[in-house]
Amino acid sequence: MSQAETQKEGSILFVGIDLGTSRSSISSSNNTREWVESYVGWPKDFISLQVVGKPVLFGAEALKNRLSLDLCRPLERGIIKEGIEKSEEAVKEIIKHLIELAKPSGGQKIYAVVGVPADTLKVNKLAIRRAVSEFAHSLMVVSEPFAVAYGMNLLNNSLVIDIGAGTTDFCIMHGTIPSEEDQKTILNAGDYIDDQLYSYLSEKYPNARFNKNMVRQFKEQFSFVGDMPDEIKVEIPVDGKPVLHDIKNEIRRACESILPALVEATTEMIARFDPEFQIKIKNNIVLAGGGSLIRGLREYLQDSLKEYGPCSVTSVNDPLFAGSDGALKLALDMPSKYWEPL
Amino acid sequence: MISLLHQKREMRVRKTILRGVYEDNLRIIGKGGNGLISHRYYYAKKVLLTLCLSLVALLVHANYVTGPFFQERQLTAGLITRDYRTTPDEISAKTDDYRAFMKNPGSLSRVFGLEVRTIMIDPGHGGADSGTIGKMGTREKDLTLDIAKRLRERLLKHGKYHIVLTREEDTTLSLNRRVTMAIANKADIFISIHLNYLPSKPINIIETYYFGPSSDSKILRLAEQENAGSEYGLSDFRDMIEKLGRTLKLQESRDFAYSIQKNLFVNIKKETGNAYNFGVKRAPFVVLLGVEVPSVLAEVSCLSNRDEEMKMNTASHRENIANYLEAGILDYLRKGDSKL
Ligand SMILES: Nc1ncnc2c1ncn2[C@@H]1O[C@H](COP(=O)(O)OP(=O)(O)OP(=O)(O)O)[C@@H](O)[C@H]1O
Ligand SMILES: [Mg+2]
Ligand SMILES: [Zn+2]
Repeated sequence: MSQAETQKEGSILFVGIDLGTSRSSISSSNNTREWVESYVGWPKDFISLQVVGKPVLFGAEALKNRLSLDLCRPLERGIIKEGIEKSEEAVKEIIKHLIELAKPSGGQKIYAVVGVPADTLKVNKLAIRRAVSEFAHSLMVVSEPFAVAYGMNLLNNSLVIDIGAGTTDFCIMHGTIPSEEDQKTILNAGDYIDDQLYSYLSEKYPNARFNKNMVRQFKEQFSFVGDMPDEIKVEIPVDGKPVLHDIKNEIRRACESILPALVEATTEMIARFDPEFQIKIKNNIVLAGGGSLIRGLREYLQDSLKEYGPCSVTSVNDPLFAGSDGALKLALDMPSKYWEPL
Repeated sequence: MISLLHQKREMRVRKTILRGVYEDNLRIIGKGGNGLISHRYYYAKKVLLTLCLSLVALLVHANYVTGPFFQERQLTAGLITRDYRTTPDEISAKTDDYRAFMKNPGSLSRVFGLEVRTIMIDPGHGGADSGTIGKMGTREKDLTLDIAKRLRERLLKHGKYHIVLTREEDTTLSLNRRVTMAIANKADIFISIHLNYLPSKPINIIETYYFGPSSDSKILRLAEQENAGSEYGLSDFRDMIEKLGRTLKLQESRDFAYSIQKNLFVNIKKETGNAYNFGVKRAPFVVLLGVEVPSVLAEVSCLSNRDEEMKMNTASHRENIANYLEAGILDYLRKGDSKL
C-alpha cells in the first residue's frame, strides 16, 4: 500500500480525531493517544491573562480557571453554534491543541479523519471542515458512530449506539457509508442525565451545596441502572461542612431516565429494515461513548430487545478512544488518491 | 478457502465505504454532485438554528458563565479587607504574612539614574461614578482629580519625570481601562488617589493599600459572599488570589505604600492635629492587580468627617495633600536610588 511507504518516510502523520461535546481525543499513526475535555477558555481580559499566563486553556485546566476565562464548550448539544464565531474558534483551538498533543515532527504533513456527532455533521459540515483545515493538509469528516463502527470492523449488519454527552447517536451499518436513514440522534444522553440528577438532588437535599460539575462526577463514579447491592453515599457540603448524603436512588432514577427513549429509538431504527436484516442487526449491537459505562445498561437493553427474538448487545472496550481509533483506521486505510484532492 | 472468500468480500465492502467517505467529503466542499441545492437548504436551516441557538446560548450564558467576580464595583467595594491594621508607631513590615507570596519577587524596578521615569496618577472615580459624597455635597471624584493635577504640577517641576493621568476631566473610566492605560504608557509606578468615608468614626483616617491577600479566614468568608449563588467554589477563588499574588511586584508596592502612608500621615497629623493612621493594608483591588509595576491606592482623607470636608474645600489643603504625596513618591524613588 502506498500509505505504508509514505508513512515509513515519515512525511505524513495520520491522525484520527473524535470531536465530542464533552471529550475530544486523538489517535495518531505515531502511536500517541491523547484526550482533553472539550472546554476552551480565553482569558477575559489582560488581568486574567496575567493570572492564567496563557492565551488559551483547555479541558480540566480551563474549568479550573473558569473565573478568569471566557469559557466555551463548542459542540454544546452536539452542534457548532454557528453564527457565534466563538464556537468555531473554539473548535479550531481544540483541533490545534489535539494535533500538537500528537507531536508531529517538523515538516510532517497531517492527514486527518475527524469524527463528529452525527447532528454536527448534518448541520455544520462546512464549518467543521473550515475549522480543521487550517491545521491539516488533507482531511475528511465523518460521523462519529460511523468511525466507531469502522474501527471495530462492524462494516455490515450492525448497529452502533454512541451514548455521548450531548447526544446519543445511532448508526446502522450495511456495507456502505451510512446515509441519513441509517442514522438517528436523540438528546437523551450524558448531559440529560446530569440535569436529571441535579434536579433530583436539589429536591431531596435543598440545603446541600453542589454544582453541575460535582453532579457529573457523582454520576461518572456511581452510574448504574437496575439493581445494585452497594450503598452510594457522597460528601456534599451543608453550611460549609461536608455531610454524607445517600444518593443511590437519585443516581438510579437519573440513569434510568434515558432508558425509555433509548429502547424506543433502538427498536424504531431496527424496524426500518426488512425482517431478515433485522435479525442480523439485533445480534450485532454495540454500545459506545461514555454513557456505555453505565453499569447494567447493556444488560437492560439486551433484555428489553429480547422480547422480539434473540439479541446480543456488547460494549466497546475503550469508549474514550473508540472514536479516534476508528477515525485513525479510516485514515490509514484511505487510498492516497483520495487524500490529494481534498 | 471460505475465509479467503470472506476476506475478499470484506475488502470489497471496505473499498466501497472508503470511497463513500471520500465522495461525501467532496460533496461537503461543493465539488461533488448537487452541491448548490443542498447548500441553500442548509443555509435556511442554519439561519433558524442560529436564532434558536443564540437564545439558548444567552440563557446558558446567563446562568452558567457569569460569576460575580469580575463586576468591578463588587471587587473594589466587596473585597477590601480591613483586618490588618498598624498602630501609629508600628509602621514596620509584618514580613512573614506575605513571605509565602514573595517566592518570586522579580527584579527591582527602581533602577534609575538620569533616566526619565513615568509616573501614572489615577484620580479615583469620575463621570457617572462620583465616589463618596460628603455631607455638604463634596464629591470624591472632584477632589481626586484636583489633587492629581496638583501632584502632577509638583512632580513636573523636578524635570525628570514623565507624568500621565488616567483622566484629565470628569469622565467615567472603568478600572480595566485605567490598568490598560498604565500598561500602554509603560508606567514605572502607579498611584491611585481616593478619599474614605467612615460615618461611624468622627475622625480623619489615612490609609494606603497595595495588592495582596488578607488573612485566610477573611478571604474565605469574602469569597463565600462573592460566590453565593454561583457555581464557583472557594478553591477557585483562593487559587486566583494566590496566583495574582505571586505575579505582582509585592515587595516594591509595599515599600511604595509605606512611603506614601508615612508622609501622608505624619504631615497631615502635623498640619491638622487630627488624623488616625490606619496604616498600610493589603486588598485585592482590581486596579492594583492589573498593574505590573509598583502600585498603591491611597485614601488621603475621610469625607465623612465634616471638618475634613471643609478643609478639603480649600485649595491650600489640597495643595498640601499633593505635597505629601509628592514627598512619598520621592522618598520611595530615592530609597531605590540609595540601593544602587
Ligand atoms: N462511568 C460513567 N458512567 C456514566 N456516564 C459516564 C461515565 N463516564 C463518562 N460518562 C459520561 O459520558 C459522557 C461523555 O461521553 P463521550 O466522551 O462519549 O461524549 P462526547 O463524545 O464528548 O459527546 P457527544 O458524542 O455527545 O458529542 C459524559 O456525559 C460523561 O459524563
Ligand atoms: Mg462522542
Ligand atoms: Zn474611592
